[in-house]
This record gives sequence, structure tokens and C-alpha cells, in this order.
Amino acid sequence: MNTTKMPRSSHTFTVGWLYPDLMNIYGDRGNILTLLKRAEWRGYEAKLVELGRGTVNQMDEVDVFFFGGGQDREQALVYEDLLEFKQPPLERAVNSGAGVLAVCGGYQLLGHYYQTAEGERFPGIGMIDVRTEAGKKRFIGDVVVDADIDTLNPKTLVGFENHSGRTFLGPKARPLGKVRLGNGNNGSDKTEGCLQGTVLGTYLHGSLLPKNPHLADYLIRSALIRRGVDELSPLDDAVEMAAHERILQRAQHQHR
Amino acid sequence: MSSTPSRRNRKSAARKTAAVLAGKATGALSRATRRGGGTTLPGDVARAIDPKILTKLAADLTYGSIVITGTNGKTTTARLISYLLEGAGHRVVSNRAGANLIFGATAAALNEAAPTGTLRADWGVFEIDEASLPKAVEEIKPKITLVLNLFRDQLDRYGELESIAKKIEQALAAMPDEAVKILNADDPRVAEIGLGLPATPLWFGLDDASVAATELPHAADARTCPRCGASLIFTAVYVGHDGNYHCPNNDFARPTPTMTARNIKLDGFDRFAATIDHQRLEVPLGGLYNTYNVLAAFAVAKSLGLESDYIAERLKDFSAAFGRQERLEFRGRHLNLVLSKNPAGFNETLRTAVELAKGTSFLIALNDRKADGTDVSWIWDVDFEQLKGSATVVVPAGTRAHDLAVRLKYAGVPAAQPEIDPGKALDLLIKMTNDGDTAHLLCTYTAMLDLRAELVRRGWAKPYWET
Repeated sequence: MNTTKMPRSSHTFTVGWLYPDLMNIYGDRGNILTLLKRAEWRGYEAKLVELGRGTVNQMDEVDVFFFGGGQDREQALVYEDLLEFKQPPLERAVNSGAGVLAVCGGYQLLGHYYQTAEGERFPGIGMIDVRTEAGKKRFIGDVVVDADIDTLNPKTLVGFENHSGRTFLGPKARPLGKVRLGNGNNGSDKTEGCLQGTVLGTYLHGSLLPKNPHLADYLIRSALIRRGVDELSPLDDAVEMAAHERILQRAQHQHR
Repeated sequence: MSSTPSRRNRKSAARKTAAVLAGKATGALSRATRRGGGTTLPGDVARAIDPKILTKLAADLTYGSIVITGTNGKTTTARLISYLLEGAGHRVVSNRAGANLIFGATAAALNEAAPTGTLRADWGVFEIDEASLPKAVEEIKPKITLVLNLFRDQLDRYGELESIAKKIEQALAAMPDEAVKILNADDPRVAEIGLGLPATPLWFGLDDASVAATELPHAADARTCPRCGASLIFTAVYVGHDGNYHCPNNDFARPTPTMTARNIKLDGFDRFAATIDHQRLEVPLGGLYNTYNVLAAFAVAKSLGLESDYIAERLKDFSAAFGRQERLEFRGRHLNLVLSKNPAGFNETLRTAVELAKGTSFLIALNDRKADGTDVSWIWDVDFEQLKGSATVVVPAGTRAHDLAVRLKYAGVPAAQPEIDPGKALDLLIKMTNDGDTAHLLCTYTAMLDLRAELVRRGWAKPYWET
């Protein structure tokens, strides 16, 4: 018997929000709330750790990190802090099985670099094998993705994109899925987002997880596997899936 | 061969007259066919004939123009200023239906112009969308420009807050020094713009700890110092990120306002009282956001030379614009229609409805048409949690009613089934609201138009171009 050696409480679920005050532009709180509530509704003690500039407190306790988008001014402030403080503990956590959901600006910062229209390169932390270049036209509008995740049911993901960056995947990252509507990663190869280990990067907000509760559960479950959790108990998702369905229905009449 | 100056002038005047006539005809046709109030289309038509039409019409004004911009409060503030000017015997032209792009301003000027093409009015009062400001000030050449606030709003349409701020900066910088600039000192991003101007603007701000919160709401945007990047420290928070702030490294702080509102007493959606510039005011408008609007209008009126006691007397009987805060009665229920279009505005109307008006019955309508913003993710920045425990009826409505239903579920607020159809949503609200109770209808711009159209169809409200 070694019940005393259980890692922390097996009944807590912790979300780490990277830069909640600076990287929160597109209703990112929806993603945080969805992760927390869905864990809570299953009897977990859901905890939020806010990881603002200068702090690395409790990063090793986090199950799922969230890294959202920001405005250029804020993104520059975040980059320095990311390199100086967050990168090592973040990499440690991910290597031990913690998950990451990175949206838009967060997605770009986790990649190798962001290259401006003038050819200037801002390095990212290279945690995922993606690179981003500035594009001329901003991609704005509804997105429907057919996700490439076996356990996901349904396979569709719905969201809203608003970005001018064009992201391209290297061999270590694989696409989250193919766009049925919208532009996704770069508008040219039909891919959207990326999966690399437990890191999920995407351009979808809207917010993403509230209307895609199955993806929220995928993230929660993936992070809890290391604590011996195989299956999550089912929840009533009628309200969430009605909103998901509405976007799918509209998409049949939309062309972008 | 080039034409002589007088010939050019004649040509220019003829073109102006033709543009005015065509614009006016379009407006009349639009109203006659009931396609709406003809609030922007006449502007399109006239500008196609004479691209300089707005500049020419604005030059006809006896005294000049006042331009109002900012994310929230433009319509109410413009209406307050017009109301004060009209009460003092001035003839005012304004784009009062909330048509705040350059076409709307043009249409408003056309509407008041004589068929000869001359605009006979004393003042132009124009509310201008933030993104249209550079063009508007270039064409209108206002005597006074008022900047209310800069909140996160419709990122899909405007891009980031920063690019909007840059547009306002550019517009103000291009104006001559003698043009009066009146700015909100409590808004860090607006203050940054004002501090960069060659001449000190007239600053206004609230000064009353009793109505302030001490923590920023989640939806706050401008919270870092523009000089050193440190997070700003707020000692008072009034609306959104508007409050009293300073940088911990002393690199930046709220400019000291010359025009303040103190001793503020809020009374739900019904009225508020405040002391502005030593004058006690009682205004039949609710919510702290309206205290800002009245303060801003007061600052404008004072710089136009109106007397404080006249302003106080006149404002006692002010009524808000259509759908901004409109009271309607139906079958014993009191309906309170309030425009709520972004997180900062929504949080304030929710706070007013729940804390001050003790509201229990709500219809929340979210549309995602162009004028509302096609991206609805901002609803996750609104603190709908405020409704938890106090609201007994919440009907999610509008084209994105289903998204609202999800938001309410995660806020822990029990909600009725989502209703996209405005008529059905109203029916459900009436059915669930007790006789004699008040229902608060908080809606985005076109959702408000849809609900109002339905109310007009049922004979509960007047068409908006008659309000």
C-alpha cells in the first residue's frame, strides 16, 4: 500500500492561466471557465492559478495551461517574461504530462518564430514545431474544423478566427484538423491548429471550449491520464451542443 | 484650359445643390417605403454626387460643430449636448439615430438642409464612430472634439484597441491648437492620447470613492503603463478600466481633471444626482456610465458659454435616446430597454439592473450582424455571474441566443430556452414575468432594433425616427 505517495490530491484539477491580465483579448475566460466547471461538475476540486508577469508559483501543480491571445503591445511585454521566467517550468510540466491549450498569440509564441512583413523575426520559445509569418489579409470569421483526434466525438470543432499570421507546421507537429469553413493556420493548406504531445495550438476562439465541450473533455482527460484517470463521467451537454449545431447549420450557407 | 475661380465656385455650389436634392429624395423615399428612417443611405447618394458635401454643409453652420467619439455613451452624450443647445434657443443639426459613420453624419446634415442646398442651423452635433474620426474631423472641422472612453469593442470590425487609439491620436493631432479637445482623464488610454497633444486638453473625471470599486473587472483593457509597461495601480475603478490610476514607477498617472463629478447618488435606472463644477444636478438617467455622459456634456456646454444653473434646470427633464434606456408598458409589465453592446457597457447595465434597480426578470439579446460585431466571444468577458441568485427569469435571445445560453450556464445562472425569434422571445418574457414587475431587456445594437421593430409592430412603441 502506498496511498500516502499519491501525487497531491487525486481530486484536484488545476488550470494555469498564463498572463491573464495581458493575454485575454478574445473572451479567453470562456476557455478557463469551461475547463474549471467541467472538472467541478465531475467532483474535482477545480483550482485556477493565475500566472502573471514575474511569477512561477505552483506551475508544477498545473494540469492544463491556457495561453491566450493579446494585442501587439502586450505580446511584447509577455515575450520577455516568458523567456526569463516561465519557459523552464512550463517545459518541465509538459514533459511530465501537463496539457497546454494555446490560442492565437499564445500559439504563435510557443512556436519557433514570428516573422513580420518587413522580414524581422521575433523568436518564440520553440516548444512546438511551428513558424508564423505575417500575412497581408486578416482572416476574420466563423471556422468549422474536422478534427483529427480519434477519441473526439463529434469530430467537428467550431469557432471564430481573427488573425493575420500565417502558421506553418514542421514535421514534429501535426494538424489539429482540416478546415471545412474558414482559413485556419495559413489559408493555403487547409490545416488548422497543431498537436504536439500534450500541447494543442489553435487559431479558434469564440470562445473555443464552451461550444466544443468534447474538446474541453479531451484536454482534461489527457492531463489526468498521468494520475490514472481513464474515463471522465458523462455530462449533459445539450445546451453546449445546441450552440455547436447552430454554427454547423449556418456554415452550410456560408462561403468564405 | 482651367476654369476661372468664380466659375469653379458656381460649379461647386451647383454640385452641392444637386447632392442635397438627391440625398433628400433618397431619404423621403426610404421613409415612405418604410425601409427605416433614411438615416444613412441619403448620405451615400449625396457623397457620390459631391464628395465634399459634408465639408460644404458644415461650413454653412452659424457657429460650427461638436464631434463626440468613444466606445460607449456617444449617442446619449450627443443628445444631451443637442438638448442643452436647443433649450438655449439654438438650432441644432445632429445624427441622432446612432448612424455614426461619415454617411450618417452627411445624411443628418442633408436632412436639415434647404432644397437650395444651404444648411440653416447654428450648431452641428455629431457622434462619430472611433474608426471614422480622422475623416470626420477633416471634413467637419469641429470647434470641439470630445473623447469619452476607449473600451474593447467589436475586434472583428475595428481590429485591436491600439489601432483605434492610434486613429483618435492621429485625428486630434491633425486639428489646430485653437480647436477645443475635451478628454476623459479617468481612461488610461484616452489620457495617454491627451498627454501627447501639444496643448493641454480639458480633462474631466469622476471623484467619488463611494461609487468606486477597488478592483478592475476582468474585461479591463488598458492596464499597463504606456512608458514602462508596468501594471497600473488603481485606487478607484468606476466603469471598465476608467478610474484613478498611477504607474508604480511614477512614469504615468491620471491627469488631474478640471471638471469633476462628486457626491454621486445613484438611483437605479431612474436618476442620479451629482455635483459638477459646484453645481448640484439631478438627471433622470441611471447608472454610473450616464454620470460620465452628463459630466462630458456639462464640460462641453460650459465651454460653449452656457450657465451652470441653466444646465441643471434643463437636465431635470432629459429623456434618453430610443433603446438607450427606454421605458415601455405592456399588459401591466414595465419593460426597460437598455443598449448593452460590449463588456464594459454590459457590466455596468447589469450592475445597475441587479444592484440598484433590484431587477429579477431579464431578456438578453445578442446579435452578430455587422453593426453588433460578428465575433461574439466578448460575452465571456461580461460578468453575467452578477445575475446569479437574483434573477428569476432570464430569456436568452437574438441570432446568437444559443451562445448566450451556454454563457449563462457556465455563469451558474438558470436560463429559459434560447429564442432566436424576437417575437417569441418577447412572448416568453411576458409569460414568465409577473404582472406589475419590471423586465430589463439588455441588447446589442441590431438586437435592440429587432426587438423594437417587434414592439412597434405590436403597437407598444413608436418608430425610432419619431422618438
